[in-house]
Amino acid sequence: MTFSLKRVYAIFTKDYKDLLKNSYVLFGIALPILYAMMVNRIGDQDPYFNFLPINLALVVTGAFIQAAIVAEEKEKNTLRGLLLSPASTLEILIGKSVLSAVVTTLVILICIKLSGFVIVSLSLFALMIFLNLITYLAVGTMLGLLSRTVMETSIIGMPFMIVFGMMSNFKPLFNNEILLKGIDYLPSEQFTFAWIKIGEGGQFGDIIGELIVLTIWAVAAVVITIITYGKRRFDK
Amino acid sequence: MNNIIEVKNLSKSFGNKMALKNVSFKVQKGETFGFLGPSGSGKTTTIKMLTSQLIQTTGEIKVFDQLLKKQKDPLFMKRIGILTDNSGLYERLTVYENLLLYSQLYDVNQKQINGVLEVVNLQNDSKTQVKKLSKGMKQRITLARAMLHKPDLLFLDEPTSSLDPVNTKHIHDGLRQLNKQGTTIFLTTHDMMEAEHLCDRVAFLHQGEIKQLDTPQNLRIQYMDSSVTLLLKDNQSIVVDKDEKGAETIYQYMKSGEVISIHSNEPTLGEIFVQITGRELA
Repeated sequence: MTFSLKRVYAIFTKDYKDLLKNSYVLFGIALPILYAMMVNRIGDQDPYFNFLPINLALVVTGAFIQAAIVAEEKEKNTLRGLLLSPASTLEILIGKSVLSAVVTTLVILICIKLSGFVIVSLSLFALMIFLNLITYLAVGTMLGLLSRTVMETSIIGMPFMIVFGMMSNFKPLFNNEILLKGIDYLPSEQFTFAWIKIGEGGQFGDIIGELIVLTIWAVAAVVITIITYGKRRFDK
Repeated sequence: MNNIIEVKNLSKSFGNKMALKNVSFKVQKGETFGFLGPSGSGKTTTIKMLTSQLIQTTGEIKVFDQLLKKQKDPLFMKRIGILTDNSGLYERLTVYENLLLYSQLYDVNQKQINGVLEVVNLQNDSKTQVKKLSKGMKQRITLARAMLHKPDLLFLDEPTSSLDPVNTKHIHDGLRQLNKQGTTIFLTTHDMMEAEHLCDRVAFLHQGEIKQLDTPQNLRIQYMDSSVTLLLKDNQSIVVDKDEKGAETIYQYMKSGEVISIHSNEPTLGEIFVQITGRELA
């Protein structure tokens, strides 16, 4: 099977032009940035608290924008046009993810600047963000495929938003060991654990466990999304 | 290769319901082939199977002389075009931007965009946002999109349903032009007038089965009754049989100069469909 960068670029360019006129998506970009400004004003040094704007950027900008872009393609019957064009599944999925990835990365950079998040190791930070981006974009694509309309992504995505975006905040409310252990394996928690270790002088070898968990999340999310794509691509 | 499409014993079931039952037909290169039937007769299911959107339960489909692959084949997709009554467009983008995307996906020179816009008479609206256009104009854009890469085979699923006569004419003119350039057209419709205007051959589909397949002309002759109607100067219509007695009657009226017109009583495709299936096309 051939892979055409030209077709990927065509889908990316189309999404970019569309994004500039899409108020729903622009709101998703603004939310983490506003939150980062709040974090900066509060000035808390807690790593969990400092990571929140970045996690919000991954969940809201990454996953939800991706979900909205995919759901809108289904809602407006334009995904069918792409599927019936020479563009392959991989080209469509990558083409539709590149814009969300670029925008989310930009929002993360703005959040870092605004919230005062200190990057101890740029390479490890970039690696973890990269793995998280794959996970959240894949989950966003899946949410978009499962939704019939853009509005429905908010409903279907709400449990995801709570679990992936806010669960660490709710940890004090639970005393069930199994549940707490489960929360520890969420991507946001793994990122924070690793980041604390790096802040204490840890190297690549010290966070290998967290990196493996983040990699498992990324691979599992991509595989489940591809399966979902195969089943739901032609649904209205 | 004379046959662009060859379908043998094609069946499709959804659960216990058979949508298509043992259907066989061939579509020849360069022809416009019509699949006529009421809603729910299996027309869209057929198109979806012919374009790899659905997999058949049993039977064989050959397109361009090759068995249809279950996996998407970019080379096959480049040779076909698809237009349905709900083909989507990017509403926030302009007409040109919509077509630009597809010119890049099909690897077509951008200069062709203006050409297809001229065919569908939308050359002055290329910079207009799609959401500001009427339904008929949007359908003309989807036709332009389907024509952009000059497909060898174009599938049309109810292309003019719910369009006004002016937009329908634009669509029909565009299709005729495309057909003249060599594109084979597979058309599904429940609009008998559309089929009469466009199709070289038609198949009548009813409850998932092909009941009749021929040229519109042959069908009309086959189902024509053995009479002609004379319209006289006093607005009186007289129906006479095509036999010796009828010939004498016509001769007498012609001799007296009373005849305005003589018509053979050919049924429309819709009337033939009713005769065969016992139900209306719409």
